[in-house]
Amino acid sequence: MFTLIVGGAASGKSEYAERLAVAAPAARRFYIATMQPWGEETRQRIARHRAMRAGKGFETVECPLNLAGLQLPEKGTVLLECLSNLAANERYDPAGAGEDAFCSILDGVDKLLSQCSDLILVSNEVFSGGSEYEGDTLEYLRLLARLNRELAAWADNVCEVQCGIARYYKGKEPYLHDRA
Amino acid sequence: MIFITGPLFAGKRDFACRILGCKAEELARHAVWDVQELAGQQTPEELAEQLAAWPVVIATEVGGGVVPVDAKQRADREAAGRLACLLAQRADTVVRVFCGLPILLKGELPE
Repeated sequence: MFTLIVGGAASGKSEYAERLAVAAPAARRFYIATMQPWGEETRQRIARHRAMRAGKGFETVECPLNLAGLQLPEKGTVLLECLSNLAANERYDPAGAGEDAFCSILDGVDKLLSQCSDLILVSNEVFSGGSEYEGDTLEYLRLLARLNRELAAWADNVCEVQCGIARYYKGKEPYLHDRA
Repeated sequence: MIFITGPLFAGKRDFACRILGCKAEELARHAVWDVQELAGQQTPEELAEQLAAWPVVIATEVGGGVVPVDAKQRADREAAGRLACLLAQRADTVVRVFCGLPILLKGELPE
């Protein structure tokens, strides 16, 4: 089962994604972290997310680049957070795929799907603030939007999280009500 | 009139082609898009009235970010939001496209 979760900054999408991952049936849970710790702010953000995951039984796997090369030891639940980091890393990191970022990331997600029982993928909604941006920003938005659309087409379930509440635009909320 | 809204690059025009059964290069015959950029050139009421003659009207949501510092941009963004509300009122069907997925906000989708 593949669930795509999209939300704005601090919308509660991470916490919601973790709730889904914890409720998924597989015994092993992998958290694929994509953020590169550039400075104090990102280090604090990473620490906050690690604390949130503590005790939830996630094994953290760092993968800021080359998702297609990632090998997981066992089929389990995978929570990948988040597509917007991965897209920026692949597109703009000198070691990334550059202009092939779109295909490279799709290839990575495709390989990931074959290696897990359940994939929960988190992405960002950053597309409602107009289109007057400088430099590479529009190009980046175009890349992320294309990935969001393509992966939404692949996914079984797609939701948008606002204030911690998920609305499903495709499929339905998985796992949480299975054990009632 | 069918009003299609949604964030930037969400797949609004692709969706319009799907419901109209037309190719991308034929879309301009049936639909008008990026109407948020026309807002501010005349009153939203006049503009909405004119645009409502099209079978399909498409606007990009632009009100989600920080209020622009520039007064003209601020006024245009206000006008774009107002225009979207007026178009939605006049529309038989309103659809928001998000990540390529349509969500019906008003009325019914054509079969």
